[in-house]
Amino acid sequence: MTQPLDICIELKNSVEQGEPERSKSLAEKALQVLDSISIIKECLIPAMNEVGEKFSRLEIFLPEVMMAAEAFESAIKVVEPKITGEQKKALTMGKVVIATIQGDIHDLGKNIVAMMLKAAGFEVYDLGRDVPPDVILKKAVEVDADIIAVSALMSTSLPYVKDLVRLLVERGLRSKFIVMVGGGAVTREWAREIGADGYGENFEEAVKAAIELINSRKNA
Amino acid sequence: MLDMFEVLRRSEDGPFMEEREFDFLVYRKTRELVREHGIVFDRENVIPVDESLVKGVFEAGFKLALETGIYVVESKRVVKLTEEELKYVVASAPSEIVVGEGRDSRVLYARKPEDRRRPLIMGGQAGAPIPEEFYFEMALSYMKEPLVDFVNHGGLARVGGVEGRTRSPAEALAAIYEVLHLRKAAVAAGRPGIHLLAGESSVSSIGDLAIQKPELLRKTDAHLVPILNDLKTDYDRLTKAFTFKIYGGFNVTLVDPVIGGFLGGPEGVAVGFVASFLLGRAIYGSDYHIIHPIHPKYVSTTPPECLWLLSVVSQAMAKYTNFILMGDVWTSNGAGSKDVFYEIVANTLVVAVSGSHPLGVSATNGKYPNASGLETKFMAEVAISSTRLNRGEANEIAKEFLKRYYPDKLEKPNVGKPFPELYDLKSIKPREWWLEVYLEALKEVEEYGLKIGSF
Repeated sequence: MTQPLDICIELKNSVEQGEPERSKSLAEKALQVLDSISIIKECLIPAMNEVGEKFSRLEIFLPEVMMAAEAFESAIKVVEPKITGEQKKALTMGKVVIATIQGDIHDLGKNIVAMMLKAAGFEVYDLGRDVPPDVILKKAVEVDADIIAVSALMSTSLPYVKDLVRLLVERGLRSKFIVMVGGGAVTREWAREIGADGYGENFEEAVKAAIELINSRKNA
Repeated sequence: MLDMFEVLRRSEDGPFMEEREFDFLVYRKTRELVREHGIVFDRENVIPVDESLVKGVFEAGFKLALETGIYVVESKRVVKLTEEELKYVVASAPSEIVVGEGRDSRVLYARKPEDRRRPLIMGGQAGAPIPEEFYFEMALSYMKEPLVDFVNHGGLARVGGVEGRTRSPAEALAAIYEVLHLRKAAVAAGRPGIHLLAGESSVSSIGDLAIQKPELLRKTDAHLVPILNDLKTDYDRLTKAFTFKIYGGFNVTLVDPVIGGFLGGPEGVAVGFVASFLLGRAIYGSDYHIIHPIHPKYVSTTPPECLWLLSVVSQAMAKYTNFILMGDVWTSNGAGSKDVFYEIVANTLVVAVSGSHPLGVSATNGKYPNASGLETKFMAEVAISSTRLNRGEANEIAKEFLKRYYPDKLEKPNVGKPFPELYDLKSIKPREWWLEVYLEALKEVEEYGLKIGSF
């Protein structure tokens, strides 16, 4: 009979190697010897954490991280129906709606941050690039997000970030969401000035800030 | 280069692909080519002297351009080129162009590795938003430096007190006022014909279209047309390129891939650079080309990965083509700090001995207006004195200076001070304390055998 530890290691490897089909079938096998919570906590989350660390050391690159995230999601789909909504919430760091703001077509940095947030255990909704503030807001409300994260590489897209914050205030939703900003054109001082809750100079700082902000909100 | 109508046709009739599919094609092909050509990044030697590595980077880049082509975001079509067309792109590249006007004009030429000719200097805080209040004075600080041949300064943060906003009328106005400030500074410096690489206030084509006028951006000037990451373009970039070509000015390809993206690590990014330059000239008809690797963590062009890329890409392009290249000097530290000079030494040596002209100093990763003409003068002095060095000697000096800032001073850079605190705004001269920091840095460089000021 397959040992729980062996199957967990195999599943972890399949996620790290970015093999969605294999991850799916291994998750099915794992369910025969492990409960869903253990699979997520002991096999899947550690796999994504490892992927994030490897990217930080530039041992792997964005496409490998994307494939790992895909494998992770295909395994999650198998085990998720077996857990309650409350359990799922406890296992997820939080929900993030992320986008490159309107007026900016540069999305590689944002893609990296989105993937690293996934690796850190966040449920990420990536809306792409050149996204208007109202579209971001609508999605955040729709999925009941915890964090709205926007990036701006060009200084001419910064006014649209301010528009987003203003829109949140006007709709009475500012305190509902944690707002994080980053990207080439954004400085720490500017982030503070517009009333953002968090700032990331790079992907590492962005993920760290997201974790800290969500934890302090949970503990509040 | 392709006829622009042919580019248009292919952007509408080329093979259809979802963007993700194209991204992964680039990833797979690049990885294969890196392996096939045995390309390996060497952290210990930021200026490689291995000719087979340089050859491998060029050949792999050529194959990548041929196999992937360039993706057009809106149409989701790929503009593909034949081998003959790509060879023509290489063969037709001018090895020199005359830029600027009158006695301020310069012959901008294609450098070679270990070139003994004086590199030309492009000065300015490129890429940073600069406040209206001192844009003119700051631009003048570069124009006043005799060693600065051309200017590429940042965009205007605001115009008439209104923030520049992509695709809004303010974007067009910001581009117009940016060039007006630059023109005024050029006249004030007694260099009315100095070559400008400008229009930085505008991301979309709006600003570019607004400044294509002899009283603003002249036919002897240039503007940037970036390749989007990775190996992509869009209608705005093509509009910029086509209209400026018809106007008669110079298109400049900016290639700025992020290490760790779809091209992979430094090795794949090197290959992607070559492919991007070839494709950029093919579709934009670019006249010169800017190398700007981006580090995913530190952003600047000064960590070892970026220095190696600046060198290996410069060498590959310089050895196997006549492309005119500029290497960005883009630091994490800002003017007003001593550390900015350390980054400048390593970055400039790498660029100048490997076959490129230096462009900078863009300090603070382009975030703050914490820059001035003085550190660009320093960059020019280092670049010019490096013409006495071979790649091995420059590598050793670059490594010594790298140790002074990497990684600590990139982790927590000293962003320095804004321009008005560095210069007297009336005389446009560096303040005493800032001049002293510069002189100290100069002394430190000379201890390594670089003979500054003896050229």
